[in-house]
Amino acid sequence: MLKVDSLNKTFHTAAGEVHAVRDVSFNADNGEMVAIIGASGSGKSTLLALLGLLDAPDKGSIDLDGVELANLDASGRTKYRSHQVGFVFQQFNLIPNLSARENVLLALEYSHWPKADRARRADEMLALVGLDGEKSQRRPARLSGGEQQRVAIARAFAAQPQLILADEPTGSLDKSTGQKIVELLRSAASAQGATVLVVTHDEKVASQADRRLEIDDGVLAEIA
Amino acid sequence: MRSIGVVVILAVAIALSISMLIARDAVTTKINSVRASTGTTITVSPKGFFGFSGGGTPLTTAEVNDLLDLKNVTSVQESLSEELQSSQTSLKSPTPSGSLGGRFGNFGGGGSTGSTGSGGTGTTFTIPVRVIGTNSPGNALVGGANGGGTEKLTSGTSFSPTSKANVAVVGATLASKNKLKVGSTFTAYGKTVTVVGIYNSGSTFADSDVLMPLASLQTLASATGQVTAATVVVNNVNNVTSVTKAISAKLGSKADVTSTEATTQAALAPLNSVKTISTYTLFGAVIGAAIILLLSMLMIVRERRREVGVLKALGAPNRSIIGQFIAESTTFTVLGAIVGFIVGAALSSPIASALVSSEGSTTPTSGFVRGAGGFRGGGSGFTPPSGTGFGGGSPFHPASVSNTLTTLHTSVGWSTLTYAFVFAVVIAALGSTVAAATIVRIRPAEVLRSE
Repeated sequence: MLKVDSLNKTFHTAAGEVHAVRDVSFNADNGEMVAIIGASGSGKSTLLALLGLLDAPDKGSIDLDGVELANLDASGRTKYRSHQVGFVFQQFNLIPNLSARENVLLALEYSHWPKADRARRADEMLALVGLDGEKSQRRPARLSGGEQQRVAIARAFAAQPQLILADEPTGSLDKSTGQKIVELLRSAASAQGATVLVVTHDEKVASQADRRLEIDDGVLAEIA
Repeated sequence: MRSIGVVVILAVAIALSISMLIARDAVTTKINSVRASTGTTITVSPKGFFGFSGGGTPLTTAEVNDLLDLKNVTSVQESLSEELQSSQTSLKSPTPSGSLGGRFGNFGGGGSTGSTGSGGTGTTFTIPVRVIGTNSPGNALVGGANGGGTEKLTSGTSFSPTSKANVAVVGATLASKNKLKVGSTFTAYGKTVTVVGIYNSGSTFADSDVLMPLASLQTLASATGQVTAATVVVNNVNNVTSVTKAISAKLGSKADVTSTEATTQAALAPLNSVKTISTYTLFGAVIGAAIILLLSMLMIVRERRREVGVLKALGAPNRSIIGQFIAESTTFTVLGAIVGFIVGAALSSPIASALVSSEGSTTPTSGFVRGAGGFRGGGSGFTPPSGTGFGGGSPFHPASVSNTLTTLHTSVGWSTLTYAFVFAVVIAALGSTVAAATIVRIRPAEVLRSE
């Protein structure tokens, strides 16, 4: 279970201080899919970066299954990201010179997944997202946007993380493909019991989540 | 294409480094060879002493022996050179008087015939026989200005360096002229001298001399304690200059102190210039190659910031990401080094020759180095280098040296390979360092936020 309490983040810019995240608190259960919606610049990507420990909060706590994450050092944050978090990005962000299968294997390598089982696990995940066979050997440039996002989802779920952070996962896809990706995220979350936080400004995507949260000027509120 | 471009540029820089390294090694080897071949001897002769003509005030044995106290001096060979006039010896010089003798022979002759008298009768001029007293038999004639090499006994024995007996080793030409054999005797300064050996030095002029124990000749010639030349042997060629200065300081205006060092240095000046140029170019090329790789890696890391950010987001530790870039930088360097090494090795010889040729126009300014005792100085004269190109035994001339110095032999040895490996490691390390520093600074949140 994810428990976020009084999370704050302020950026100091030439134009002055920007309070990107203000006293954000919420909980999310395992297997639950939570949508965070908000306009551009509302602070949703910053919140995701804080939860993924890509950035450190100024204040507050992040508790994942009883482990406090906000105070981890650099090494601890790296370990947390490799074992407990899966990222899905709007631009897919696959490694261009690796095949789809190698991209998934990379995540397994960083999570120290048992060596002997990595290939099987990668194939299993690619099959789950419908990219088994010849396509798994292709490099990202030879895959469509939807296929690349499927590879990204396979990569994100490969190491069985507790938390999946998806930042506008359908932003670069057409509606039909986007719908399939959301369904895939939801089913994978259910199958693995992982908490999925989807940041989106697409109401249709948000409506498929178990819960919806809205962030505005760094302040998070539950939408009934 | 970019990777190929980086490898090609690196290969050019490394080729330049390698060719400069090989050229530098070849020049260094040549310099060391020449310096080693110039010997470790310094010649000391009385100030103003001019061999055949004599002159100057002889040095004393005590003064010369004091030179043994100087640092880095290993031995001192002393000699006394005297001329036996026909009135002082039974020996006849084998050297024909030639035109010189003819002119002397007619000296005093001719003149105008008076009404009651006639011109004087010309005196027959005879070339004197040179006799050398030495405490270093076997080396007394080495490289003398008259062209003598190391004398080799063809019959009999030599004498002890400290002998006081009236014995002599005579040159083959002189022996032939005077029908001398081992056991024969001749007179000198009114005393009987026994021939104990006959030598051949390869020079007719030098083989017309008589070698005697130094002490014996000093006694016979009433020159007790006098020497006309000394050869100081130094322990190392690198100490020749300092010992030369020390001897000059010790003997002051009493003696002329000469060594081949100054002339050798003048002859080697163009090579030293080439060595300096190749050294600077070598370092320049290595630094250039490192900068090329450094900038290339910087560009590559910057272009792949997003990839680095993603890898960090996936939980890749910095060392793992840095390792990937180091591998990339090392691959560039290794490929560049292989191509550069082959090209550099192929170009090293023409580059070295071109460098030496361009620098060789600087003709050494030193002239002929006079052997001790001048034209026909006594004792151990100038010792010519015996190494390749100097023509052992022939008079030393810088022009011949500079001609020889333009011929360099380049080769690739283990040291070159080792240096090339070190260069490659240094270049790769420098290139990787920048990549590593940049990677560490990349913050995934910033990179991924900008999408």
